[in-house]
Amino acid sequence: MSSVSLGKSPIPKKQWLSHDDTSAFFLLLPVAAVLFAVAVFPIIYSFYISLFDLKLTRPHRVPFVGLDNYLTVFADPHFWDAVLRTVTFSVTSVIAISVIALLVALLLNEDFPGRKFLSAVLLIPWAIPYVANALMWKWIYDSNYGALNGILYQLDFIDRYMVWLGDSEKTLMLIANAFVWKEVPLAAILLLVTMKSIPADLYSAAKVDGANGLRRFFHVTLPALKPGFMLVILYESMMAIRHFDLFFILTEGGPADASHVVAWRIYVETFRNLSFGTGAAMSYILAIATLALSYVVIRSLGKKV
Amino acid sequence: MARIQFKHITKTYAGGAPAVDTLNLEIKDREFLVLLGPSGCGKSTTLNMIAGLEDPTSGELWFDDLDVTYLPPHKRDVAMVFQSYALYPHKNVYENIAFGLRMRKVANDEIERRVRDAARKLEIEHLLERKPGQLSGGQRQRVALGRAMVREPAVFLMDEPLSNLDAALRVSMRAEIKHLHAAMGTTFVYVTHDQAEALTLADRIVVMQNGVVQQIGTPDEIYERPANIFVASFLGSPPINYLHGKLKQNGDHVSFVNDNVRFALDASTIARIGSRPEKVVLGIRPEDVQITTAGGNVIEGLVDSVLPVGSDRFLGLKINGSDFFIRVGKEARFAEGERIAFSPVPERVHVFDGDSGKNIAGAS
Amino acid sequence: MATSSSTARRNRAIGQNLRAAGLALASIVFLIYVLAPVSWLISSSLQQEAALTSVPPQWVPEEPHLDNFRAIFSAGEEEKVTYETRREADTASGGFIPSTAKNLLPAMGNSFIVSIAVVILNLIVAVPAAYAIAKIRFYGRSASIYGILITRVIPDIALIVPFFLFIRNLGLLDTLTSLVITYLAVTVPFSVFILVSYFEQLPDELDKAARVDGCSRIQTMTKVFLPLAAPSLVALSLFAFLTSWNEFLLALMFTQTAASQTLPIIVASFTSDFTISFSFINAAGVLAIIPPVILAIVFQRYIVSGMTAGAVKG
Repeated sequence: MSSVSLGKSPIPKKQWLSHDDTSAFFLLLPVAAVLFAVAVFPIIYSFYISLFDLKLTRPHRVPFVGLDNYLTVFADPHFWDAVLRTVTFSVTSVIAISVIALLVALLLNEDFPGRKFLSAVLLIPWAIPYVANALMWKWIYDSNYGALNGILYQLDFIDRYMVWLGDSEKTLMLIANAFVWKEVPLAAILLLVTMKSIPADLYSAAKVDGANGLRRFFHVTLPALKPGFMLVILYESMMAIRHFDLFFILTEGGPADASHVVAWRIYVETFRNLSFGTGAAMSYILAIATLALSYVVIRSLGKKV
Repeated sequence: MARIQFKHITKTYAGGAPAVDTLNLEIKDREFLVLLGPSGCGKSTTLNMIAGLEDPTSGELWFDDLDVTYLPPHKRDVAMVFQSYALYPHKNVYENIAFGLRMRKVANDEIERRVRDAARKLEIEHLLERKPGQLSGGQRQRVALGRAMVREPAVFLMDEPLSNLDAALRVSMRAEIKHLHAAMGTTFVYVTHDQAEALTLADRIVVMQNGVVQQIGTPDEIYERPANIFVASFLGSPPINYLHGKLKQNGDHVSFVNDNVRFALDASTIARIGSRPEKVVLGIRPEDVQITTAGGNVIEGLVDSVLPVGSDRFLGLKINGSDFFIRVGKEARFAEGERIAFSPVPERVHVFDGDSGKNIAGAS
Repeated sequence: MATSSSTARRNRAIGQNLRAAGLALASIVFLIYVLAPVSWLISSSLQQEAALTSVPPQWVPEEPHLDNFRAIFSAGEEEKVTYETRREADTASGGFIPSTAKNLLPAMGNSFIVSIAVVILNLIVAVPAAYAIAKIRFYGRSASIYGILITRVIPDIALIVPFFLFIRNLGLLDTLTSLVITYLAVTVPFSVFILVSYFEQLPDELDKAARVDGCSRIQTMTKVFLPLAAPSLVALSLFAFLTSWNEFLLALMFTQTAASQTLPIIVASFTSDFTISFSFINAAGVLAIIPPVILAIVFQRYIVSGMTAGAVKG
């Protein structure tokens, strides 16, 4: 074996791209192609459309309007109402999710018989489709025959059946409840994984220092959970802001606009009013708001994604 | 079976100082070359460049008459043993060893022959069906060696392969690696930070620091005639002792003087000294001293600690506040606080330039 | 503070009992929180409409029956709904099954086809990309991973307009293909992300060993890293499958007829029709829940282990 080079191909001279760079290029080509076609291009195209007054009701006349669509949207008070509702919904949901997920994670962090069973059960809300979640809660909230009415009536909290989803004061919170129920598992898993990576030595040191259970929770567990919480808050607020499915199935934006959030508004504008230009503008505003929100949260996180 | 040449090789990572700075080195065919230095000195980077795992930023790398500078690793005839062994967890031992041969499309019966042969030599025949996860550290190390051996490569690379083993195993494995080298007759390039390992195994040693070669030479050369203070400090355990001071000329006599010590250098030492800088550093290895009686041309100190190490005995001295270690016989008995006097063996005194650190009493 | 050892032992026993009681209580609360809504759904699907509409409701069905489910499975063979049969059927007393019921099972089939296709495409596309990002130091590496993740920050709503026009112009409205393509945008970034996290935890020296042993970059990926990434691949497939199966908004945009409608769409169409019997709707809901829940529970251990490689011995 006197030759030190194998294969018949000539020895490569200094190339512009090394073997590594070339390999990387080909390995990334499929992903780049797919994402360009179905993500990058639509994002750019969406912005392009938002600069035109495109209404499918009169598809042949499409004047260029520049940023007018955006101005129309910003000037519309109904839009700002929707923003307020979105913010209310999101903030309430994220807080509820964080608290409940923390409790669940604390429970599942303990070692006890039946824990595996509980972990499996935890996955159920996460796994089911949003539409199934929606119809389940719709049935529970039903004014005539729903379980919520049933329980409260049987326990004598109310003396006759009430309207739930149809009551504009309660609608948003009821939808938030359904949303929270479905989102808790993932948040709990994220927190649990973070919890498990807390070195046991920290707890030992705290015990030796004389800290009881509650103290250990506040001084060891909670601070160490900070990155987990940041991730949960970031992810869940992004999910809450854009959420659509529940609003479509439970209330269709009603009653009387009580649950008319930005995501719903975009749908209505685009597919019911058929005004694609303003719909695109609104969705771009939402996209930028989401980007800004993620940037802010990631910056305060201080580490890279 | 290959001569490796580094021609002005430099490797820089984005925005940093060079990991390897203008390396010019010729590794002879069949020699056992050790790259020695502290972590971060560039030795692993150099090894990776021989393997092709990293490309140099500038310069050329030649195997015999072939310019392999940009040849990818799978096209080079090189085998490598890693510090963490890097065995394929999902394959059993047989397949781990055979993998390189399969990739090179060697015939199945040839693979069988070579794998069994290597397994027998390494005494791991009974492990061939097991997976790496079921083996001990020492066993995994042998499998890693086997994997490299069966390839019968032109160059055999080893990146700190013994660092994860316990001390006793390390010593016996060193002997095995030396035998392996003799049996295979291949060029070996070995990376380590352990100077004892380097001295035991190498035909030649390359000492590196911060990407720059400090000295290339045989173990004897490096140990006896270190090129500078860094090399002198790096080899030898316990490390060499230093005295900082000046040289004073007194007619024919030259003395070394500092605040605590006044010591006349003898003629042979003086003859070796090339230049007369302002400041000098005297280097004396712990084993290069003789205990004498006080008075006369000696260095005196106070015994600060007694350090028996089983086969030997060392004394930690304080020479007016600074530490100095000397070796005394195993049976010698000294007490803490005792005053003793010693003189260094003249031929073994090292003299370094106080500013540059270079050895000025070098020669040959 | 001198306590006798028996007091200490007693205190310890009390503490342990308290803990056990606390855990039991918390577990029960947890189980109620998660299982109560679902159990009610299942229970309602097993009841007659009359039982369902009583006040207060029957929590556990007195006469459970599978009529609703039978209706779903045999819906395609039902006779035409005539004026007479329609008048007979009354949401309060009988069961009115919509004619679209027969689309439920085919819709499930559509969901299944789309989900599987998305999983396969995810694997093909994400694995090479993840290997390259995790193990090759190439120019543009961090830009790549950030770029891939950023595409998911944009809400789906923001994409419906361009997607709709894009799909319509390609003539792909009302086809499963439109769903498969658009679902890739939704699933690929996360797939790449979890695979990269996993690969990064596999030792670099394994990669080096393979390359010195004679593997090109692509061979290293297929012969060494792919086999080791099995848990992560399972997790990836699970996530991609569930996301596709559960997706609603895009399917709403692109599908118009039963030819391409997926399960969430059909189920959603029932809920907006007030003449349909509740027990039937709930049965449809149960049917929609079963496959994803089974999948999630069967593969649950891969969900976390697919993202953290743990100790890979080699």
